[in-house]
Amino acid sequence: MAAGLCAVVPMALAQQAGNPDAAKAYISMCTGCHTIPGYQASFPRVYRVPKIGGQSAKYIEAALTAYKKGERNHPTMKVIAEGLNDQQIADIAAYYSSRGSEPAAVASK
Amino acid sequence: MNKITIAAALLALTAGWAASAAAADIEAGRKLGDTQCAACHGKDGKSPIDPSYPKIAGQYQDYMIKVLGDYQSGARKNPIMGGIAKPLSKADIENVAAYFSTLPGPLTHNK
Repeated sequence: MAAGLCAVVPMALAQQAGNPDAAKAYISMCTGCHTIPGYQASFPRVYRVPKIGGQSAKYIEAALTAYKKGERNHPTMKVIAEGLNDQQIADIAAYYSSRGSEPAAVASK
Repeated sequence: MNKITIAAALLALTAGWAASAAAADIEAGRKLGDTQCAACHGKDGKSPIDPSYPKIAGQYQDYMIKVLGDYQSGARKNPIMGGIAKPLSKADIENVAAYFSTLPGPLTHNK
């Protein structure tokens, strides 16, 4: 019994695997800003929103989690991240990490 | 005379554009990037040593300027990046962000 519980716990704690297909149900909240070349965040400062297609999944997870916890501050991203559970964050990370275009050079300006 | 005036005006205009487009010193940015950024983000800016570190090659310059400024001010907290960003001048940040924005990488706007 105890051995059985021990075997289960590590699995439950293991990082959730992201499902890129599941992410398609909620990436609409990302596309309005992150998939428009040169789109500028207008608040609180003006700069182009980062490209996230092809970014590392672990980094995207870390970023969304940091926004959710309030460790990174951006009004829009905070609201979006707060509405996501860990599985959805993993799904979105898996999805966008697969949307890169290596080795094609991407317009950087 | 008119032609010369127009030519001079055009030259000044072109020079002004060129100056604003190339305000950052890419070469200085490369030197800074090779010594300060490459160890973690990869010399090419797209081979981070840890998957939780972002790829920065081809990322927007102005976004990276914003990020480095946030690390510098403490608005964004990270022990490593805070330490690296603190001593950078405004020009350092513009240069290094410009350099990595010019590198080819996988980052896209793909839906």
